[in-house]
Amino acid sequence: MCPSAALRMEKSDFRLIIPSQTRYLNLVTGLAKRASQLAGMDDSTAAKVSIAVDEAVTNIIMHAYGGEEDHSVELDLRFTDTTLEIHMWHTGVGIRGNQIVLPDPKEYVKHPRKGGLGLLLMSRFMDEVRFSEEQGRSECCMIKNIA
Amino acid sequence: MTDLSIQVRDEGCASVVEPSGFINAHTVRQFEGALEGLVQAGRYTILLNCRELNYISSAGLGAIMGLIETVRENKGDILLCNLQENVFAIFDTLGFTQLYRVFPSEEDALASLTEQD
Repeated sequence: MCPSAALRMEKSDFRLIIPSQTRYLNLVTGLAKRASQLAGMDDSTAAKVSIAVDEAVTNIIMHAYGGEEDHSVELDLRFTDTTLEIHMWHTGVGIRGNQIVLPDPKEYVKHPRKGGLGLLLMSRFMDEVRFSEEQGRSECCMIKNIA
Repeated sequence: MTDLSIQVRDEGCASVVEPSGFINAHTVRQFEGALEGLVQAGRYTILLNCRELNYISSAGLGAIMGLIETVRENKGDILLCNLQENVFAIFDTLGFTQLYRVFPSEEDALASLTEQD
């Protein structure tokens, strides 16, 4: 089997469901980093994707579920020829796109405060971040283009 | 391997904090506790040696941000050194490299404190 065929075979989409507990963050970010590398990203880009996933899953656990540990977070990683799509689903309180206000880093530096940086990291490290709701579930979808 | 371990030692007027592993929402209380313990002990000059820090999420940045005013009000500071590439990218993306002094090595960071005295 030629190497490119082997790589294509490994690149099937896959799904992971975790309890809404921060102890699983390391597992999820490790998976996101490895998936990014498999998609063809360099180590530096893969590390940024894993941080964005950490922030997104943390937001779901801490804010959508309010820290309650008996829920679940579903992650769906989809490989295309040009992108890695990471879909994250939950049944907690969703974010609507028009509720998002990203802090301005320049203002943040002038007036430091605790919190509010996760969404900014997600938007800076990914090419697209969007939120939606469907049939009682909320989704955060992040897309990274493969250079 | 545990997600995070933290070593703390004193080097002259500064306390050196060496986190090893990952600082995220799961481990941030441990990191926050180490920093708050130093501040409560009157150690207001803190050097974060990040050579073994694999990544830090916004939860960890919030812990640093939460103490910066207190230490500076007490004539101290929080300095950073030995940042790995992805950790530097996080600090730099958020403008933190303008808020904190960043050094390539622990020796450089400690020398800058000596020059101040």
